Amino acid sequence: MPREAEPSANEKAFLLKALQDEQIRLDGREFDQYRPLELTFGDEYGVANVSLGKTKILAKASAEVTVPFADRPLDGIFTIATELSPMAAPHFEVNRPTETEVLLSRLLEKTVRRSGALDTESLCLVAGQKCWSVRVDVHVLSHDGNLTDAACFAVVAALRHFRKPDTSMENGVLTVYTPAEREPVPLGWLHSPFCVTWSFFGEEGETALLDADWMEEQVRVASVTISLNRHGEICQIAKLGGVPVEAVALLQCTSVALTKVKEFSTYLDDKLAEDAKRRDKGGFMAELRAENDRIVG
Amino acid sequence: MPLDTSAYSLALLRVDGRRWNELRRIHAQIRTQAAADGSSYLEMGHTKVMCVVNGPSEPGPRRGATSGGGGGGGQSKNAEVAVNIVIAGFSSVDRKRRGRGDKHILELQSTISQALAASLHTHLFPHSTINISLHVLSQDGSLLAALINAATLACVDAGIPMTDYVAACTAGSTSTYAANDEGADPLLDMNHQEEQELPGLTVATLGDSDRVAVLVCESRVQVSRLEGMLAVGVDGCKQVREILDRVVREKGIKMIQEGTVERGVGLNDMELD
Repeated sequence: MPREAEPSANEKAFLLKALQDEQIRLDGREFDQYRPLELTFGDEYGVANVSLGKTKILAKASAEVTVPFADRPLDGIFTIATELSPMAAPHFEVNRPTETEVLLSRLLEKTVRRSGALDTESLCLVAGQKCWSVRVDVHVLSHDGNLTDAACFAVVAALRHFRKPDTSMENGVLTVYTPAEREPVPLGWLHSPFCVTWSFFGEEGETALLDADWMEEQVRVASVTISLNRHGEICQIAKLGGVPVEAVALLQCTSVALTKVKEFSTYLDDKLAEDAKRRDKGGFMAELRAENDRIVG
Repeated sequence: MPLDTSAYSLALLRVDGRRWNELRRIHAQIRTQAAADGSSYLEMGHTKVMCVVNGPSEPGPRRGATSGGGGGGGQSKNAEVAVNIVIAGFSSVDRKRRGRGDKHILELQSTISQALAASLHTHLFPHSTINISLHVLSQDGSLLAALINAATLACVDAGIPMTDYVAACTAGSTSTYAANDEGADPLLDMNHQEEQELPGLTVATLGDSDRVAVLVCESRVQVSRLEGMLAVGVDGCKQVREILDRVVREKGIKMIQEGTVERGVGLNDMELD
């Protein structure tokens, strides 16, 4: 089993000394500054390419018609699949989930799925017989720390961008239309949660950094991932062990996280609007739409 | 099974008759297993867990998916804290089959391992492993808190040097996430029924400080509600720490009286009764 390469003792000492004595991060960022976040959409609906500094993540949403689970006949199926392949970093192996991968997929699951961001009831086609199964595949293309925030952003962006084929039900016959027949429809989306990860450094975790890169992640003594939406609702908080941190500091982290989440939210809305404009070449989109206007949070 | 929340606002009593700031009965024992280096049994209300600690010892053959916190196994400068959780099939109402790769259990294992690794003096035992196995016998809410408390007690029993107790409990809030009502009371130590209905979080603190080792919230809740819940949770952790400390002291006194262990030098003038 390949083990991850640790930074050398000199590198660690240098990083910590710069942080504690000079209050400087290795790449010169402010303590609460993210690396440049970039989002591009693919040609298809539901493909989001996110890069956060050198961390690159591709999320692809897809949908197919299946049979719903027997215990939930009125709900559709929604799954998030994460894969950390050796492409991202040499110590990841295929088909053997590392702890990082398990924790990442649990965090995404809690943030996006359990907080009810996607309205799974709207995925139901025929109760107990047919429903949509929406699946998001998260591929980590390049790993330079803070996978959680980038992956969460990519998943939310992919799902908000995704369009599933339109369907109709007439006399018990279910018809799924191709994109040529009817314009695909967006998913029933309720709110957009985003993850913000703080990393703590020092004996008692007194220095808190946002968006730690890979090197900082290997040196940190504790971390907390806070998921919020722009309405100020916490979807999930995970400080899974590590050096204990003052409760007051955690509350401060949460309030800074809220401002960051609002920035993410605005950025995503702008990007989605930009992409919609790009696709809407002749201005026919409004006329082709079959659905009614609704407020998307 | 909807929780009758209207009853709370009338009498300020919860479903099991507690007030907002009351813990459930905590009963704990240490040194329950003779064969192990350290062991404990803990009940928080109807949540019952057992813990067995072996080590620090030479690491055995590497298994595939152990959750190793605090270092990478045999080669590192620090002892590895390997946690293994078994949730008995009969522990909850619905018999849920959980596979070995259950992500929820893996997350719990990793959390406990990393929380304890920060309190245990793992640097004293290089190239070794501390094996903690936890068995869940009955579940009624606050599972992670009970597991952390049991693991702490068992580590104390095993005589592994540690900074202080890692004590945990849960806190919740009486109104659901949607209702933005200001009069919502925070609740201490949630049972299963409350956990299903109301937002809540699990807090673990180190000793009687305000420093939070573990904070896990898995439900949607207004950000303004967090401060109250955290304050009540941290306060509850201090109460739990007192209870754990009393259990350890009582057991120690009993062992001295029975002559199992020598009376320590510092204890000569201490009253044992």
